[in-house]
Amino acid sequence: MLAVQTILDGLVLGGLYALAAVGFSLIFGVLGVVNLSHGAIVMMGAYLTWFIWHTTGLDPLLAIPPVMLVLFGFGYIYQRGLIQLAVDRSSLMASMLVTFGVALMLRNLLVLVFSPDFKSITPGYAFSFLRIGGVTIDLVRMSALGASLALLGALAWVLNRTRIGRVIRATAQQELAARLCGVNARHVYAVTFGVSAAFAGASGAILGIVLPFSPPDEANWTLNAFVVVVLGGVGSPSGALLGGLLLGLISTGTSQLIGPAFPNAMMFLILVLMLLVRPAGLLGNAFAASR
Amino acid sequence: MPRIARRTLMQLAGGTALALPALHTARAQARKLVFGGSIPLSGGAAETGLNVNNGYATAVKFLNEQGGVDIAGTKYQLELKLFDDASDPSRATTLIQRLLDDRVDFFLGSFGSNIVLPTAAITERAERPMVQAGGGSDQIFTQGNRYVFGIFPRATRQFQSTVAFFKTLNPQPKTFSVIATNDAFSKTFAAGIVKDCQAAGYQMIENYLLPEQISDASSVLSSIRAKTPDMLLCAMHDQNSLLVARQMIATGTNVGLLFQGLGPQLASYREALGKHATGIFYSTYWDPRTTWKDPFFESAGKFAEYYGKNFTRPIAYHVAAGAACIITYVKAMQAARSIDPVKVRDALAATDLETLYGRIRFTADGDGDAVAMGPSVGQVLKGAGEVVYPAGGKTAELLWPVPAWDKKG
Amino acid sequence: MIAEALVRQRWWIALAVLGIAVLAAVPFVLMPFHVRVGQLILLSTALGLAWTLLGGFAGYWSFGHTAFIGLGAFAAGLFETTVLGAAFMRANPLTGLGIGLLFAMAVCAVAAALVAWPILRLRGIYFAVAMLGIAQVLSELTNSIDAFRGSLGLVFPRIAAFGLRQEAVFYYLLLIATAAILAIAFLVKNARIGQGLAAMREDEDTARMLGVPTERYKISVFVLSATLTGALGVIYAHSLGYITTGSVYRTDFSLNMIVYNLLGGIGTLIGPMIGAVIMVLLTQVVLGSFLNLHMFLTGAMLVALVVAAPRGIVGTWQAWRRRRHGA
Repeated sequence: MLAVQTILDGLVLGGLYALAAVGFSLIFGVLGVVNLSHGAIVMMGAYLTWFIWHTTGLDPLLAIPPVMLVLFGFGYIYQRGLIQLAVDRSSLMASMLVTFGVALMLRNLLVLVFSPDFKSITPGYAFSFLRIGGVTIDLVRMSALGASLALLGALAWVLNRTRIGRVIRATAQQELAARLCGVNARHVYAVTFGVSAAFAGASGAILGIVLPFSPPDEANWTLNAFVVVVLGGVGSPSGALLGGLLLGLISTGTSQLIGPAFPNAMMFLILVLMLLVRPAGLLGNAFAASR
Repeated sequence: MPRIARRTLMQLAGGTALALPALHTARAQARKLVFGGSIPLSGGAAETGLNVNNGYATAVKFLNEQGGVDIAGTKYQLELKLFDDASDPSRATTLIQRLLDDRVDFFLGSFGSNIVLPTAAITERAERPMVQAGGGSDQIFTQGNRYVFGIFPRATRQFQSTVAFFKTLNPQPKTFSVIATNDAFSKTFAAGIVKDCQAAGYQMIENYLLPEQISDASSVLSSIRAKTPDMLLCAMHDQNSLLVARQMIATGTNVGLLFQGLGPQLASYREALGKHATGIFYSTYWDPRTTWKDPFFESAGKFAEYYGKNFTRPIAYHVAAGAACIITYVKAMQAARSIDPVKVRDALAATDLETLYGRIRFTADGDGDAVAMGPSVGQVLKGAGEVVYPAGGKTAELLWPVPAWDKKG
Repeated sequence: MIAEALVRQRWWIALAVLGIAVLAAVPFVLMPFHVRVGQLILLSTALGLAWTLLGGFAGYWSFGHTAFIGLGAFAAGLFETTVLGAAFMRANPLTGLGIGLLFAMAVCAVAAALVAWPILRLRGIYFAVAMLGIAQVLSELTNSIDAFRGSLGLVFPRIAAFGLRQEAVFYYLLLIATAAILAIAFLVKNARIGQGLAAMREDEDTARMLGVPTERYKISVFVLSATLTGALGVIYAHSLGYITTGSVYRTDFSLNMIVYNLLGGIGTLIGPMIGAVIMVLLTQVVLGSFLNLHMFLTGAMLVALVVAAPRGIVGTWQAWRRRRHGA
């Protein structure tokens, strides 16, 4: 019974992790950029949603589309205007530093605008649960899992079934060839980043319903995204889902079997081991050579 | 020649005549009394840091508006020289040294033991007092420091009054479990909880340790549902407390008594939980409704009112604690009739006074006296934080037993 | 090869020696605050140099060097507390620090050696992330395992020696450490290994094909870099007096080391020195006064730096000089 509960809790937690990492995976896979400001964008999503919910009373789940739209725009401009510049002038490694700088700036801005106090989004259904047999199911987290699956599915559909998705994948695999076919690579990269930011924002909205949040959390979500992407594989939504679910299971399993203080340590240990054994991740298509 | 000399003389005379009033005014102008220190205004501790900062600022502003403070016949205007240490100990130590070089004699503390300890070591060596409302873990007070004073009792002694409260409950709980996070303050606080509860005869079922930043407490809560302790005592910071409470509600984990050291004091916590917050117990070091009399603000209530006129941020007990640091300093200087750091230090050590914050008295090691300055017990009732113990400071009647999550009205 | 370099760079070496002599006078001439800033500058310079042995010379950018700062700090602290004991430390603080330093360096060397072969399989971003992961693992374990005292914290004894104030003692320790690391880096750069590393940096596979013992060089420089970083961690921890996990395992330490090199010019010796001086002065002195905007300004500076001066100060100066004198 405890095992079932642990597995269930792990899957549900994993849904959260998966969702929060999907944007990161896309950017890493397509642009080769490690976006250290990913967590900050997730937080922006959470804060925007909180703001909408707090001022208009709109249900946070309904606030997700406008939040995604706003962050798409932000991501597009960010990539086209800043990251592209850094990559052109310096190197991919330098882009990591640029995104770190932006993360610091965003974090400070969030503190200035929203105060350092933690915020929490608690719509009416935030506390419901089901008890079946001896197993308790936290409905909010379960619905977060559902939302993750839905959003990841939507992203997979966009990537695989739409024209823009094909263009993105083509540019990621062979930029020169794509450009020779008339693709505006810069625009495509910016769109990819925009999509990634939009999904990061959506995950922030959902996280805001599940957890209390404050600006310093952004670092944790960036780190979580790393682990998910390395576990599951770069560039694919199914990789993010698998990585996230695995991470969730490892987290609750470690908590139960080794001790509640150790999930984070185990998480990073797995990160390092995966990098040593299979850097492309379980499902990934690494577009760049890893060794 | 004589003409020039006369003109020069006239100029000199005129100049002196003009200068004399200026000299006179300079002497009549209040002297400055500077308090230096660092505060985490960014980084993880910023939430409380801002509250403490506002407390310092409120007290200084008020006293300056009263015309300054009178110490041994001279009037002083108070000045704060604070900077943001970003929760970074090397930044804090460097800039504290700068203040020392600038001849600042009196220091206020930052927040968080890993900053307070290194900075206190520097001010101690320079033989300058530090009064702080931000570091409670024991190590700060067991280094043999003579110049460091804390407004809180050390972390391992902060639970004594709460256990006394447990003893008054009817029906009596018998067992307890503790959850703590892996940071210096929470662990030492939890150690105090375990010691005091066991000494009072309660049986410990389990002591859980969680990482410093939690995103999920489900395995701990499963264990609690299985082992059913009568009391669940949480030693962690505000955001984590809220997360644990939310997950408890969302998994239907009920315990007879839920105590969270830090969290329910904040309006944002209570708003987040809504009616589910009813009945949760917490520590409170101060409430604006207490009837303490203050030498400058007259009462706790008047302080809260003055604060409200100057700041939009909701008041919290760290604000009062910050203000208390300034008040304690000023009273000590007045008692010593001097602003010599060594004399002020001795006066601080001998402090025993009633302020808006409560009775201020220090132990020989510099931390707050556990009996005089220990926390009261608060309980969330009807969406507000109320003091329910000790009887002298009560603002509402205790709710006991506390109904289960889904039965709260 | 080294002798040749010593002759060729003799003016730079003379300048360095002069510089060290001048710096040695600082605690007697300037105020304690300046000595503390000096400590920070020396520490940052030394960290930048230690990092660049691996990053600038070999081309392996580690984003997790704080792992060794933390490992060194806690290894020394735990050794001094449990093996040497508080009484010994109180009586002989400087000797205790020395012994703790040696122990910590040994621990870092062993740890680096264990991890070196597998982790140096990875390249580029993957290597960077792997090092970040290692830093996190060590940080989390230090915090969660009670025996390491990461969450409760470790106290280090006060060190006063030779009649000097505490900050002067650490200033000199750091000055000696920086000079030593600079000398080591100079030797590595100008020895055969330095040339091999430069070849690896350009194209590792070709270098290996041409007979450069890339494995041996990589691992040696990785272990060296880790050990020197660990030594600096020990000194830093002692200078703080009390550390918790979060005092020494800090992602911004890792990133700062890279920033100093990027700002100054990666792959050079003088680059990280210039970068460290500028960054420390800017963040500690100038931005110290901005109460609640300094994180924003630090980030903005970082961004501006990467975009505007991608080759760093030295690189930009070299390019300018080349343009002026014709290609």
